[in-house]
Amino acid sequence: MNTETILDKILGEAKDKIQEATLAAPRRIQVKVGREQLNALLSYLKEQLGFTHLGTVSGVDLGENFEVVYHMSSAAATVNVRILTPRSDPRIPSVCGVIPGAILYERELQDMFGMVVENLPDPRPLLLADDWPAGEYPLRKDWQYDRPAEVIPGGK
Amino acid sequence: MIERLVHWSRVKSPWVLHLNTGACNACDIEILAALMPRFDLERFGILLKGTPRHADVIVCTGPITRQNRDRVVRIYEQVPDPKFVVAVGACAMSGCVYRGSYNTCGSIDQVLPVNAYIPGCPIRPDALIDGVVKLLNSLK
Repeated sequence: MNTETILDKILGEAKDKIQEATLAAPRRIQVKVGREQLNALLSYLKEQLGFTHLGTVSGVDLGENFEVVYHMSSAAATVNVRILTPRSDPRIPSVCGVIPGAILYERELQDMFGMVVENLPDPRPLLLADDWPAGEYPLRKDWQYDRPAEVIPGGK
Repeated sequence: MIERLVHWSRVKSPWVLHLNTGACNACDIEILAALMPRFDLERFGILLKGTPRHADVIVCTGPITRQNRDRVVRIYEQVPDPKFVVAVGACAMSGCVYRGSYNTCGSIDQVLPVNAYIPGCPIRPDALIDGVVKLLNSLK
């Protein structure tokens, strides 16, 4: 199965599960989905087209909106599934029902971007320290970090 | 007399605690190499201990991460006096590439008083032996 066949299948069989699908580069397909379509498309990719590997989940800060990118791979190609969510109310559905291993990426999204991942089986914080202040999300572009002053031993 | 005996035995056989405060494991591998027969730190009487309560020297590798800071201080407080801290590797000395990161507190000396610094990224076992022997010589 080559990239064109995959793109045709996505545009044909799964056209009600996507908003837009393009060939971005050789062996790479970009798909834009809405929040209701995400789980349906991922399970279609996994069950029908053999995209069994979720490489990672990226968060992108676009200013007004956040974009979440699911990088799905098979032996033939990579599909980047993109979903937009407004910055004021950043909610995305969890994909753990389709890909259980995605829980680590989604917990990381919650920590680093402050997104709310709905229906997450275990929404505890993952990466940041226990005493991390609430409401601070280090991967947002507008986040500022004030370095504490360094102590020089011996007082020089 | 007893005091001299205690001091002599302390210098002749320091027990070390190997503590990873957030290192990438490269320094830890080199420390293990130094303890193995090829470099043989034990000829100086240096023995690796698994608990801070038996140790005289804490060998710290890596920058102190924010999550680790309270735990490192607690381990330091468990070591009986007199205690010595050796900062091993570039990260432990200065924070290195992690300096100023929101998730680390920088070098070891931001949190604990440090007695010896051993440079290198990662350190060579020779450098570790050199640094520890210099620390022991300074105690004589």
